[in-house]
Amino acid sequence: MPGSTRPDSTTDSALVAAYRKGDERAAAELVQRHAKPLGRFLYSLGAQHEDLEDLIQETLFRAFRRVDGWRGRASFRSWLLTIGSNLLRDQVRKRKGKLVSIEDRDISGESDPHAELAAVEAQERVREGLARLPKLQREVFLLRAQEGTEYAEIAAVLGTTPGAARVHYHHAVKRLKELIG
Amino acid sequence: MSECGLLSERIPAVALGRAGWTAQERQHLDDCPACKQEWEIVRGAGLLGQDVEERLDLHAITVSLRQRLQSDRQVERLRRRTLTVGSLAAAAGIVIALWTGSLNAPSDSAPMTGSLAAGRLAIPLPELQSLESSELDSLLQTMDDPNAIRAAMEDPDLGDLSSEELESVLDSWEG
Repeated sequence: MPGSTRPDSTTDSALVAAYRKGDERAAAELVQRHAKPLGRFLYSLGAQHEDLEDLIQETLFRAFRRVDGWRGRASFRSWLLTIGSNLLRDQVRKRKGKLVSIEDRDISGESDPHAELAAVEAQERVREGLARLPKLQREVFLLRAQEGTEYAEIAAVLGTTPGAARVHYHHAVKRLKELIG
Repeated sequence: MSECGLLSERIPAVALGRAGWTAQERQHLDDCPACKQEWEIVRGAGLLGQDVEERLDLHAITVSLRQRLQSDRQVERLRRRTLTVGSLAAAAGIVIALWTGSLNAPSDSAPMTGSLAAGRLAIPLPELQSLESSELDSLLQTMDDPNAIRAAMEDPDLGDLSSEELESVLDSWEG
């Protein structure tokens, strides 16, 4: 699987089709394209650092196992992120724990440590705010904010309507404004 | 839609670098605290977890994933094979049961042919081995003719025998 040489122009659909025919390099390419955004999305949803690689791997494993379930109505990435989100929800339910806590973060000593610390703190506040949103609002907001996903695609992947997705997004923004102040 | 609403719809794309502000939008952003706050929140969410991305070991994830998928495929193949063998065994069991049932069924059914008949003839009967071929032919004719059997059963000569004499006759038949 490692060592793929496919051009970037190959679409996800073509890679999925190749994987279905047994081409493992296609799977490797899909991992290269989507694993990092998946990790970022899961972390933003409240996954803990120490669980992240396992969650990513489990998400990818489940996705490839039932890749026939992806029918191309939404992008492969959106579909993947939704699988990851559901897995994270199940994990939290099992642990009955909180999604997020402020963690000690490594602040790399670059130009302005104070500005960087402020940025990290601002991000943590966003993350904590997100953890207090209902799951659907959180997912819709992150799909928009991190992926720039259109409402129609969000609706397709989350099983709702574009109008409802838009409402969820604006509710999320309003609530985050209140929480973060 | 209000100017704030229009701007709100554009914020994610601009925050991700996929679009830019017009001069009018930029001016509104500078003047509207609510839009400014929304911009900061969405931009912050867009940047969230970038350090996490950098720490991920994609090679390790890929290798591990490949191993799991291969292992899963092997388990699936084994499961299918077991299912196939099990189904064949069950089908064979049913065939054998039906076959055995037909062998034990009353003989007024159609005559058997081929391997089924051969299987029936292969049953060893040592008491027949001492008979001459003419005696065997006669016996087979008797077996094939239900009337002959009935006639033998109704042989008036046997009706005169006592039970001890009948047992003695049966003993002589059984050798």
